[in-house]
Amino acid sequence: MFLGNLASLRYFLPEFAVTATILLLVVLHVVTKSPRSTASGFLSLLGVGAAIFLAGVAPAGAGRSIFEGMVAHDGFAVFFKVLTALATLVVIFMSMDSRDLAGRSQAEYYIFLLSTLLGMFLLSSATDIVMLYLALELVSIPSYLLAGYLKGQERSTEAAMKYVVYGATASGVMIYGFSILFGLTGSTQVAEIGRSLAAGKATLPMLLASVMVAVGFGYKIAAVPFHMWSPDVYEGAPTPATAFFSVGPKAAGFAVLVRFYYTVFAAADPGTGLWRLTSAVDWPFLFAALSALTMTVGNLVAVKQSNVKRLLAYSSIAHAGYMLMGFVLLSSAGIEAILFYLVVYLFMNLGAFYVVVLVSNATRGEEISDFTGLGSRAPFAAVALSIFLFALTGIPPFSGFIGKVYLFAEVIHRGVYWLAVVAALNSVVSLYYYTRIVRAMFFEEPKDASAIPVPAVSGALLVLLVAPTLILGVYWEPVARIAADSVRMLAF
Amino acid sequence: METVLFILFGAIAVCGAIMVVTRKHPMASALYLILTLFAVAALFVLRQAHFLAAIQVIIYAGAVVVLFIFVIMLINVPEDRLPVERATTMRVLGVLAAGFFILESAVLARRFWMPIGPVAEVGTVEAVGRALFTDYLLAFEITSVLLLAAVIGAIALAKRKI
Amino acid sequence: MIAPSAYLLLSAILFGIGVVGVVARKNILIILMSVELMLNGVNVAFVAAGSYLGDAAGGVFAFMVMTVAAAEAAVGLALLIALYRLKETVDITELKVLKW
Repeated sequence: MFLGNLASLRYFLPEFAVTATILLLVVLHVVTKSPRSTASGFLSLLGVGAAIFLAGVAPAGAGRSIFEGMVAHDGFAVFFKVLTALATLVVIFMSMDSRDLAGRSQAEYYIFLLSTLLGMFLLSSATDIVMLYLALELVSIPSYLLAGYLKGQERSTEAAMKYVVYGATASGVMIYGFSILFGLTGSTQVAEIGRSLAAGKATLPMLLASVMVAVGFGYKIAAVPFHMWSPDVYEGAPTPATAFFSVGPKAAGFAVLVRFYYTVFAAADPGTGLWRLTSAVDWPFLFAALSALTMTVGNLVAVKQSNVKRLLAYSSIAHAGYMLMGFVLLSSAGIEAILFYLVVYLFMNLGAFYVVVLVSNATRGEEISDFTGLGSRAPFAAVALSIFLFALTGIPPFSGFIGKVYLFAEVIHRGVYWLAVVAALNSVVSLYYYTRIVRAMFFEEPKDASAIPVPAVSGALLVLLVAPTLILGVYWEPVARIAADSVRMLAF
Repeated sequence: METVLFILFGAIAVCGAIMVVTRKHPMASALYLILTLFAVAALFVLRQAHFLAAIQVIIYAGAVVVLFIFVIMLINVPEDRLPVERATTMRVLGVLAAGFFILESAVLARRFWMPIGPVAEVGTVEAVGRALFTDYLLAFEITSVLLLAAVIGAIALAKRKI
Repeated sequence: MIAPSAYLLLSAILFGIGVVGVVARKNILIILMSVELMLNGVNVAFVAAGSYLGDAAGGVFAFMVMTVAAAEAAVGLALLIALYRLKETVDITELKVLKW
């Protein structure tokens, strides 16, 4: 049963915290008249911290549909809210540390960051296509602004311009798909659409709609062939924003992908933890092909990159491909594997980007050549980056290995062997380009051997990112259990 | 009567749209875009969507396209510096793909099955307003955050110095 | 009465012309206008579907699409102004500081 608008307010506290912080940032910016101060950074930290707390303490129980069915409040949504807010928290720390952003007005930057966070909250909980579309745009539009934030730098503005053109087109195609779904079923509720479609026989329109919606979501998670924007945006955007794009919107994109496709084009078989297709459209096969394509293109193109930010952009495309494997299996365990992988990916990817921020603060560049000799110039940062890169490759005993084990185990268990083989080959390719950076750091002579100072605060944050990457590699059960619980509560 | 009006305004909308994408100078495109938007507003009236027709004229034609025209005049690209359009393989393929898409949708539209419900006044201010402020209240409120971010962003990016 | 499929066909044509504009044109201003055409095509489908189904949701969705289109246009045009100041071009193929 849907909860009315007023009764829903008390399940909406994390969103309130974020919105209030956005408004306070606007006021703060007007009142203080010192736009470069760090006050707005601290205020945002406070707001996001409060949002995590509020999202974490309110148990979702069996889940409920709030605001007349606009959004769901269930374990799945809470999981993604905490995850994306955590990513935002780390990114705010990173931004306060970055020299890219120092000397520019800060308040607007954090307003865009928090608006995106609000969009991600809604995207991971939307159960109505009107809400879903708005949430997607609330993630996209501030993202364009974040990408173009380094005004006066050609590559940043250019990246943002490309982002707008690709983003607007992709979302246009997506709502065209929505209009077909609405026309077929006469409802905007995803659950209702799913029920009507299961009864109807309109195969061709459904195929068209599912492909068109896939364009919109695929663009959000940067799956090939809708990934064209991402390397440019990742390279051009300020590095903390790049780190943010590679984790936050991608996670929210997976949330909406799972929720939408598993509700509209599939139905759960009670008790077995499996789903069955309710339509003649074989979308799992479509996405399995996309998954294989995504990881292969991502890894192969990453091999020849010389800019570390761009390399990590392609690597994050490849990781989206790995996670898509869990999406096509129509089983709870597959979704669990995605959620678990997102958690470990959050720490290892943000960590890698954080070291890039620290290095480029000192060297003003992000080429691999800027990383040569890092092992002697900043030993701690170099060791940390190596840990993150090995974790991204999926080498034991780091957390990335466990994440991949969960994914591969389920893929093999469900008998999709070809996909497992493709993914395994891809992991080998990825080892090559990740170790190239590690080799440059430890075995190549730097042009400039002066030490790179790592401030104590940055070091502490780096430790906080390394710790989960190591600990989750040996003791992962609690997180896996949370992931499993979150899937079980997937209620509409 | 309805059929005649539909064909008339539909034809105007399509012709305007073709002109938008084929003109060399963006100012001409913008003016044709207004034509298309007005024709679409007329089609909304045919479907009894009076509220949306008004919004279409006021917001879309009146604000969004005016914004386009302002920007065209502001940056004022000299005639000889406008991009020269050349047919590359990639773009010919793109046009072909889009043409295929239209064709497919046309086939689709013919087979489209849609239940025709009771005739109801769903496009009036009252009906849209009622839906907007009850079932879709949250969506309506969220647009305010979206617009706030867009306004701040537009100012921050277009201003010379922040 | 006109069949719903007539409106859906018109919506597909408008949307398709918009897609052609986005893929085929180089001028960013015209690309942004083509995106507006795509969104208009979608709106025709929503309004028509809403009125035939007797459901106000179609109108609400079209309303939201217009709002988003306005926000998107504002951001896109602001970026274009910033870009033109730096590069003196509105040609999307000249954006090649970043490439493969």
